[in-house]
Amino acid sequence: MKRLRLAIAGLTACSGCQLSLLNCEAELPQLIEVVDFHYFPMACSPALLEGEYDAALVEGCLSMPHENVLLLSLRKRSRLLIAIGTCAAWGGVAALKNGESRKELLQAIHVCDRISSSGYSPQPLHAFVKVDAVISGCPPEKEELLRLLAGLLRGALPAPIAYPVCTDCRMRENLCLLTEQSRLCLGVLTLGGCGARCPSMGVGCEGCRGPVPEANLEEALDICQQKGYDRQTVIDRLRRFCPEWKS
Amino acid sequence: MSVHFITANRLLQLLHLLRQRGELHAPLRGADDVVRFAPLAAGILPDLDALRTLLPPKKYLLPPRETILTYRDDTNYQEPQVTTIPLILFGLHPCDLAGIGYLDRIFLGEDPDPVYASRRAALTLIGTSCSPDQFCSCHLQPSSLSASHDLFLQKTDDGFAVSSGSPGGDELLGTLAELIEERELAADDTRRYFGNQRKLPPQSELDPSLPDWQELAEHCLGCGACSICCPTCYCFDVLEFGGLDGRSAERLRHWDNCLFKSHAQVAGGASFQKDRAQRFRYRYRHKYRGFGQLKGIPSCVGCGRCREVCPAGLDLRPLAERLERGAS
Repeated sequence: MKRLRLAIAGLTACSGCQLSLLNCEAELPQLIEVVDFHYFPMACSPALLEGEYDAALVEGCLSMPHENVLLLSLRKRSRLLIAIGTCAAWGGVAALKNGESRKELLQAIHVCDRISSSGYSPQPLHAFVKVDAVISGCPPEKEELLRLLAGLLRGALPAPIAYPVCTDCRMRENLCLLTEQSRLCLGVLTLGGCGARCPSMGVGCEGCRGPVPEANLEEALDICQQKGYDRQTVIDRLRRFCPEWKS
Repeated sequence: MSVHFITANRLLQLLHLLRQRGELHAPLRGADDVVRFAPLAAGILPDLDALRTLLPPKKYLLPPRETILTYRDDTNYQEPQVTTIPLILFGLHPCDLAGIGYLDRIFLGEDPDPVYASRRAALTLIGTSCSPDQFCSCHLQPSSLSASHDLFLQKTDDGFAVSSGSPGGDELLGTLAELIEERELAADDTRRYFGNQRKLPPQSELDPSLPDWQELAEHCLGCGACSICCPTCYCFDVLEFGGLDGRSAERLRHWDNCLFKSHAQVAGGASFQKDRAQRFRYRYRHKYRGFGQLKGIPSCVGCGRCREVCPAGLDLRPLAERLERGAS
């Protein structure tokens, strides 16, 4: 089997998604055998983009002009470009304040109003380039990353997930935090595949994996309202990971 | 009438004897108040008052996720070696027994599923009676499915009238002789809601223009709880994952739901059921009319789980009462 030539890059994000890959310690020796991590600045130096790649795995959203240059270069050089993590897929936490004035936000952070920034409102990858596949999550599950790489080795993209966290949760025979305990849980609107990690520990889903396809926002907001959570509270919470939720 | 009878104070002894024959599982109420089928430790009484466990016993026969094939380039595809130990499920209600009966017809029919078959062969089913609550509908819908069991315990005020429903049950009953007394019971209150043969009238196709499909679709959250918790929903998706060595692979099946976008989707993204309204009609057809080889045999066993777990409180029952009127 041909070795997979990869570029792995981080844009505006916490590097946690790349770290999740590096945390696959048991599998790393095997990975090195089959994957050429040619460009992976977080893990290997020197790191220079060179030639073409079978795939580029990109973590993070875009908020600075130099990131656009890097992303376009990765896109041009790579047969496949894959968004890794919720920031790359949806904007994520960095895009939390996208609805507010950049000027005021800069002032609030830097106090002094003479500091200029070339930054702009953080955007997901698909706002700029064609994205071939998405692995969502904050961070993604290790298993998803390993399956992605094993699939890429064979030229395959991951099958998209079409069910919410509730599916994972009920399969684990969990109590429903929202309907049975009146606790705010965003599982019903959030993409599954995490095995309902948080609700299984009694913690309501925070929506970190972004929206599930065909999410029924209106019905979910109604149920949350019946449980004592008003629309804005729920929308605000959803937007912490995905600014595309509309109220 | 004369019945085999076990008094309530001998229940622990009964469980002890059963445990000699394999792993014993029964409904238990967890600290979170959820009732689940789970291993029953010695000296613990099962929760025989709970009307339904969150997941039905299908989880033992068709786990939520499992490997159905493994591949290696030197051995090609291989079925997994399923090691089954004798498993005794105690405290199954008639709806769940009927649910297992339905799954048997699917998975042990013309083309038996080997993994299911080996698990099923290791299973002993011991039913107990119950009284329906507001979610149950076994008593409202005569069903041709039978609540097949090895033993059935009919609750009375001070114990259980025990009957056998299989050769295995007869044999098991023989080993319980020390606990059994013969007793005269006044009336035969066996209240079996299953096995009432039902001749279905010729059915017209379900009208796709009924506003009900759209109405259900508008409220459905697509969470999957209805089918996950259904004793007779057996739809699964199959995925194959290659190994990192490039020479191995694993094929998994996991529970699916006919209301998911991906359920009727095929290569290239085309779908046989593009919207939820269409999918509801499909779901209804399976639950109340049956399809495929079991066309004409409704698969709903009336356990009430879908009604109880739906976050939006959706219920196909009122529609069924309207559309299936005269069917019983």
